[in-house]
Amino acid sequence: MRSSSLPSIVERARPLLGTYVAIRVSGVPESCAHGAIDAAFDQIALVHHRMSFHEAESDVSRLNENALRHAVQVHPRTYEVLRWAQQIAEASHGWFDVTVARHLVAWGVLPRPRSAYDPDPRASWRDIELRRDGAVRFHRPTWIDLGGIAKGYAVDRAVELLRASGVPQGCVNAGGDLRVFGPARERVRLRTPSRVRGVVPVVDVRNASVASSGRDLERQRARGPHVDPARERPAPSQLFACVVADRCVVADALTKIVLSRGRSSERVLRHYQATAYVATARQGWRTLGA
Amino acid sequence: MRSRLLLIPVASIVATVPAFAATYLTVEKAQALMFPGATFVQDFRMLDREQVRAIEKVSGVRVEGRTVKAWRASTGGWFLVDQVVGKHEFIPFALALDLDGAVKDVEILEYHEAYGGEVRLPAWRAQFLGKRHGATLRLTEDVKNISGATLSCRHVTDGVKRLLATYALVLAAVDR
Repeated sequence: MRSSSLPSIVERARPLLGTYVAIRVSGVPESCAHGAIDAAFDQIALVHHRMSFHEAESDVSRLNENALRHAVQVHPRTYEVLRWAQQIAEASHGWFDVTVARHLVAWGVLPRPRSAYDPDPRASWRDIELRRDGAVRFHRPTWIDLGGIAKGYAVDRAVELLRASGVPQGCVNAGGDLRVFGPARERVRLRTPSRVRGVVPVVDVRNASVASSGRDLERQRARGPHVDPARERPAPSQLFACVVADRCVVADALTKIVLSRGRSSERVLRHYQATAYVATARQGWRTLGA
Repeated sequence: MRSRLLLIPVASIVATVPAFAATYLTVEKAQALMFPGATFVQDFRMLDREQVRAIEKVSGVRVEGRTVKAWRASTGGWFLVDQVVGKHEFIPFALALDLDGAVKDVEILEYHEAYGGEVRLPAWRAQFLGKRHGATLRLTEDVKNISGATLSCRHVTDGVKRLLATYALVLAAVDR
């Protein structure tokens, strides 16, 4: 006899954060699983609404419109993502920088935000002030985009909530930025660009986050969404980068650094005890970092 | 060791490889989750050509199929099932609308992804094997996750837009 109170695997997916977010849990009765998944989706939806570049009422839109003129109060979650972004920017000497938004707008990847000014090309992450009272201020005309980090952060928050609900094992996957938790090992297939042929790469992980960034030649020509802030142009050479780290927010941000910097990103990867698997056009697969 | 990379030769995999497939919810399960405690009355519609044209005009989204799979919930509101087919993906989804016709929730029912439009539909579900060092790794069964450059959910977002127009033009009359 089957009973809904027996522990089972429950998996659901919703369109959020501009992609498909899937949550899988096991080790709890089905009704508890659905309650926990609902709460986790709510957290992800909160990140989506607060940190979207496209939604006019999001914190990001409010910052891009007003933070140059006066300090803008943001949701504690937005503040936390900005703290992570600034910390990773500092650890990477600006190789990760949320002010790349102006390039993405210039290339038509993002729409022009509601803003009275054009960004100052000299502006960088250093011109963003995170004040102790939870407000944010820009000190040069700039626009920010949290698209390179918010998905990873949303995954971490969802996992925290699932754990707090007593879920012992599971996975949260936001369009490829994912985190697995619990005692069992899991396998993650990597969706590589069409140029990486000959093998199907699978990463085997336990209690870790996996994030990936890739590019196809077609997309490279069309100037894909990855920007190398220090070089101010689309990132070169590496075709695909997958980063494994404890936290998904770190894995998410570091894939952009690894994709643009390749071997130079070793130091940053080690700083975060992260490992990267990189596919290059000529040398095949390479492992970097911890 | 926290992670390791396994490289499975493509040669050992059957030619038509579904990149990824997952089943999340049955229609009944989605109904129970989206309208707790409700019973449902099936109210499928067949769109005529004029309705199709009107829905396309209002939503700006092409109508692929003419059957509207709709159910009325006893607690008020509508439950709809539809599917979107993208370049790489095939995705059935469920949409719950409240009494006012506003979106309550969207749940993805299944997700199938292939590379470069190699195959569509049934073949995606085909089993295939990958071997490495004598160990068998059944990709569709043992690999429950996929990671790569982020796929946009625009197709489902468009599908929801189309169903909202369908509701306004075809179903809402029933509620009045």
